[in-house]
Amino acid sequence: MQELNLKVLNKPGLHARPAKELVKFNKGIESDVVIKFNGKSANIKSMMAVMALGAKQDAEVTVTIEGPDEADVAKAVTEMFANGFGFPDEL
Amino acid sequence: MSEKIQGNIAIPGIAIGKIMKVGQSLDGYMAAYTPGSAEEELSKLEEAIDTISAAIDESVEAMRAAGQDEQAEIMEAHSFLLMDPMLTDGMNDKTREMGHAPKAVLEAAQECAEMLAGMDDEYMRERSADVKDIGRRIARHLLGVKEPEIGEEPVVLCGFEVEPSAIANIPDDKIAGVIMGQGSTTCHAVIIAKSRAITTVVGLENRVEDIPEGVKVLLDGNEGLVLVNPSADELVAYEAKIKAQQEEQKRLDALKDLPAETTDGVKVQLAANIGLPEDAEAAAKFGNQGVGLFRSEFLFMGRENIPDEDLQFEAYKRAIVACKGETCVIRTMDIGGDKPLAYLNIPHEDNPFLGYRAIRISLERPALFMPQLKGILRAGVYGKAAIMCPMVINVDEIKAVREAVNKAMAELEAEGKEYSKDVELGIMVETPAAAVMTPVLAKYVDFFSIGTNDLVQYTLAVDRVNPQISKLYDHFNPAVLQLIYRTIKSGVDNGKWVGMCGEMASDPYAAVILMAMGITELSMSAPSIPKVKEQIRSVSMDEAKAHLERVMTMETGAEIREYLHSKI
Repeated sequence: MQELNLKVLNKPGLHARPAKELVKFNKGIESDVVIKFNGKSANIKSMMAVMALGAKQDAEVTVTIEGPDEADVAKAVTEMFANGFGFPDEL
Repeated sequence: MSEKIQGNIAIPGIAIGKIMKVGQSLDGYMAAYTPGSAEEELSKLEEAIDTISAAIDESVEAMRAAGQDEQAEIMEAHSFLLMDPMLTDGMNDKTREMGHAPKAVLEAAQECAEMLAGMDDEYMRERSADVKDIGRRIARHLLGVKEPEIGEEPVVLCGFEVEPSAIANIPDDKIAGVIMGQGSTTCHAVIIAKSRAITTVVGLENRVEDIPEGVKVLLDGNEGLVLVNPSADELVAYEAKIKAQQEEQKRLDALKDLPAETTDGVKVQLAANIGLPEDAEAAAKFGNQGVGLFRSEFLFMGRENIPDEDLQFEAYKRAIVACKGETCVIRTMDIGGDKPLAYLNIPHEDNPFLGYRAIRISLERPALFMPQLKGILRAGVYGKAAIMCPMVINVDEIKAVREAVNKAMAELEAEGKEYSKDVELGIMVETPAAAVMTPVLAKYVDFFSIGTNDLVQYTLAVDRVNPQISKLYDHFNPAVLQLIYRTIKSGVDNGKWVGMCGEMASDPYAAVILMAMGITELSMSAPSIPKVKEQIRSVSMDEAKAHLERVMTMETGAEIREYLHSKI
């Protein structure tokens, strides 16, 4: 299992757009990815669950990754958080 | 005599049809339902989800094929939600727990809906009603509730809330109208009804329950009135009303290709106000000459991100092409705290109409403003475009906009993209400050367009949606007329054209004195054009000038109104 501490950089937080990107990303991987924030946790396969975390800009979240491709997934997830999930206009 | 129920106007028109109740209580069906084993319930649930999911996908495809994109998009959101594990896992877990699939489904959907309703993301909040809609649809399927059968006679859907999917699934010739207990005119159901011009009355509250299934109703969408079981006399009376409307329409239709000019040949351009590019195409049947106000903010609403340059370019191009060589005036984004968009991230304001909005935002955020300016400049190649800035209060703002336009041109040049150098730049005169300063502002613009809705509200300090003071809201108030006259004179003196794009432009009496003041363009919702044209064609410029002279000596709006209505 891998555990990462990541910061949400997108101005609107983990809202609909990044959550959708995570759902899409989840379809191509084998590991289970769970984001924990503020006592709540969300598997990234559910857009609603991710949004329900209520993680705003600058929120520090914990991401756990478990599965055969966890090392690659960890790298990719780190990258996604860092580049605003591909939405540079939100940084 | 019929029973009359007064609601609120949502979508005008007159419709007659048979009531079909929707969103009714499922209690009776629940009581009659005998659940099987947990395993059986789970497999029934799976079948139900698959069936509904396939039905949604099928209707989305049919809507796309029929060009009903707006409707298709809303139904697509349903499909997306139905795939979300939070909803489906919830349904499965609860079914396992309760051993009763229909109850489990409703409960899981309700929980999800509540969770969504509490989010501070506008997009997700709007999905709350959609989740409930999905839950009920699956529950109905499980309970064996027949989907409403549609006979020969067109139906009027009736419920406290009418599910968007219920409207979406009935073809045009089988749906006459919609009646809702809830009062919102911006919910998804109303948006779908509007996109198909289905007469709708909302805000009946609990009185929707008093309307029985299957009765005949007459829906007067122009008055927000529902007549249950209309009598023969009432039907005749309404027939007369419909006929009178049609006759007036015929008379006005005949004016379509005639010029808007006074009896002595002074012309004015009658343009259309639009929200979406396709409105520019629809306006043609009213004989518009171009577009005097394209409210570009509609491109920014109902989305999760800033519409990019290409998307905006395509939208502007479509509207400009529809203007057939006449000017298409595009107002830059006019949004503020009253219509917060999640991606704009505007903090809550107590007074959004005097707050951070419109050009004040655009000038501070190049990421927002540049794609818009570049989109307009590129689209300008396909006809005659103009950029209009809202909420301007001083010269600095228009100078800054001019600079931004120059920068946008330089960027397009560097990117090797084709664009027009002849796009006019003007301001919407809607603040008293701008109106007072028009002699100075005129040096920096190509045109003025007077936005009377806000100009009246700001000049008189009267909130235009507050019913308690609505009688103070008057575009004939002499204070307002003075500012309008000043603006028009400033334009004329400096060789710049002046138009108007507020409600006042659609008042035929106002049109006469505005022309006498020297206005050369009036822009209004397209259906108002024929009436204004009819009025203009009935007076001479000499008469109009005499009326103006009299009016400018009067002391109150009421006096002016009375004079115009009796003399013109």
